[in-house]
Amino acid sequence: MSSAIIETTGLTRSYGDICALKPLDLLVPEGEWLSVMGHSGSGKSTLLNLVGGLDRPSAGSLRIGGEDLLALSEDGLARFRREFVGIIFQQHHLIPYLTALENAMLAQYFHSIPDEAEARSALERVGLGHRLKNRPGELSGGEQQRVCIARAIINSPKLLLGDEPTGNLDHKSTVMVLELLKELRAEERFTIIMVTHNPEVAAWGDRTIYLDDGILVREERTRP
Amino acid sequence: MVAVKLIPHLLSWAGIVFVLARGVAGRRSTVASAAIAGFTAGVVSVSVLFRFFQGDTPYVIIRDIVGGSLLLLWGVSVTAVYRSNVREFPLSWGGRLVDTPFRTIIEVLAAGILAGAISTCRFSDMAGSALPLILLVLAATAVVFAAMAAEKFLPQSFTMSHAGLMAIVVGLLIFSASSLIRLDLFSPLTMKVMKFAHDFVHQFFESMLIPDHLFIRDYLWGYIGFLFGKEVGFWGGVFIWFTPVILVAIAIGLERLPAVAHIRQGAERRKILAAAIRARRIRLVIPCVAAVILAAAAYRSCFPSVEYWDPKPVPVSADPSGEIFIPRKGEIDLEDGKLHKYLFKQGGKEARFFVLMTPGGKLTAVLDACAICKPDGYGQAEGTVICYYCRTLIPLETVGKPGGCNPVPISFTEKADGVHIDGLKLINDWGSTVQATSRIKGEGK
Repeated sequence: MSSAIIETTGLTRSYGDICALKPLDLLVPEGEWLSVMGHSGSGKSTLLNLVGGLDRPSAGSLRIGGEDLLALSEDGLARFRREFVGIIFQQHHLIPYLTALENAMLAQYFHSIPDEAEARSALERVGLGHRLKNRPGELSGGEQQRVCIARAIINSPKLLLGDEPTGNLDHKSTVMVLELLKELRAEERFTIIMVTHNPEVAAWGDRTIYLDDGILVREERTRP
Repeated sequence: MVAVKLIPHLLSWAGIVFVLARGVAGRRSTVASAAIAGFTAGVVSVSVLFRFFQGDTPYVIIRDIVGGSLLLLWGVSVTAVYRSNVREFPLSWGGRLVDTPFRTIIEVLAAGILAGAISTCRFSDMAGSALPLILLVLAATAVVFAAMAAEKFLPQSFTMSHAGLMAIVVGLLIFSASSLIRLDLFSPLTMKVMKFAHDFVHQFFESMLIPDHLFIRDYLWGYIGFLFGKEVGFWGGVFIWFTPVILVAIAIGLERLPAVAHIRQGAERRKILAAAIRARRIRLVIPCVAAVILAAAAYRSCFPSVEYWDPKPVPVSADPSGEIFIPRKGEIDLEDGKLHKYLFKQGGKEARFFVLMTPGGKLTAVLDACAICKPDGYGQAEGTVICYYCRTLIPLETVGKPGGCNPVPISFTEKADGVHIDGLKLINDWGSTVQATSRIKGEGK
């Protein structure tokens, strides 16, 4: 078995009196596709935010890629997000007045420097070579999500986080996006953590964990 | 008072040590030792110079060396531009030799000697007294340790090119020198440019065998006269002054980025390139700071914080034989070491001149104008007279000698009772030199 890329011990996140994530011990091996399921308010997005370095835990330890996230300064955390993590959101969060190509290049800009040829090739990899100059409003939901995937993988992250990435896609687009992620994972060998409500989508992962009221209540392996 | 005047010198010294400590990272103890040794050597050397040479000589030597460092910076900056676009510059055996701790020691020693020498000039009036010099060395030593401690707080990403390092060191040395009007470099530079333009035009006309007034109408001299103006000197000086730091900045801007074609992952490639670009931008700070320091030095040169002795010209007249007599003692004491201005009018013409006792103990009489500049006159301060037009400093020892921007000497006789001057000759001298020059410039007084 490969080594763990994510290692949490007693990971907790509270907002005042509300404990969104109760002490969680979790190991995610490198290269695994982990699906996270649960009802609304079960702590799925909280877990994703903590793992992505978007939020800091209230207690416990969190090591990602051997790096102790709690020990990182704000600058260190920003560097971690920039170089280690790619995120795909349900709402895409593409810049509406930039083209697909420019949206992908924006991620390069914040990471290091823009490289148009590389951004073009990333969009070609997700099957959008013919939509480079189109703005998000001129793309379908599935295409927009593929731009998001291109943007998320363009900086070669070791960890790809998806927060309901197929939440507002129809079945055909959902399958297309998930197929794409599967192919890319095979090529790039990154780890995926995907939050979803949909058991069919969760089934694409290697393992699924179930959260309820901030507690890990169940875990099942979907692939051997 | 001297301690207050030392502040710019010690600040410059702190800046020099600060950048040297960063520029030759990893050799901190070598830098500290060489800096203190160099500064002490500079103090001792100049003390010896003041002991054995009188007058302007020590200042001329130091000023020439500081001026030489600007020339050296020119050479280094041009070389930096040449080398900037070459990834693997082949090093000669000499190049390999200098890229060692040996170079570090030489550089720091040289900077220390010059900084110490410049600072010691503040104590020229206290020749023979060792205590102020010992205190100066102690203060400089404290500054070394303070600057090296402060350098540790500089981010590690702040690196500097060798040319950038030299630009800022030379800039700080020049700034330190500009605090002393006798070591000032910018005004003499503008003067030399102005003189070059002046001489060039004359040589051009002579070599072309063009007589002054046969083909060229008078009004044309008004335009040609622009070349003799101090604006030409000023902007020419600015060009010579700032070009090296601009070249250093260009060299940094042209530096080649690291080769990344062999790296498979695009993000990693971009990260390396971004880091190199960021480092290059940070290195650009150094020539920018050097430019600001040089601008400050030029400003101090143009507007020195010195009050010049500039008495109102006393009207004098000639006796029936046409002789002007200025008594040695009287209302005005000619032996007080100050310049004393006089105005002589005759037949609708006038001439301004001053009488001064030189440090050699002899009275001298000169026109209150030179043969080059517009006759704005002279003021006196700190062992020099200054031409108000081009800001050139003339040491008191050389007042009475012809050439350059020196006040034009006039014939006079020094007797026990005072100075005797031929009035008609004085008017003619003014008319043949100063007036002629100002007509060429098209703006005679």
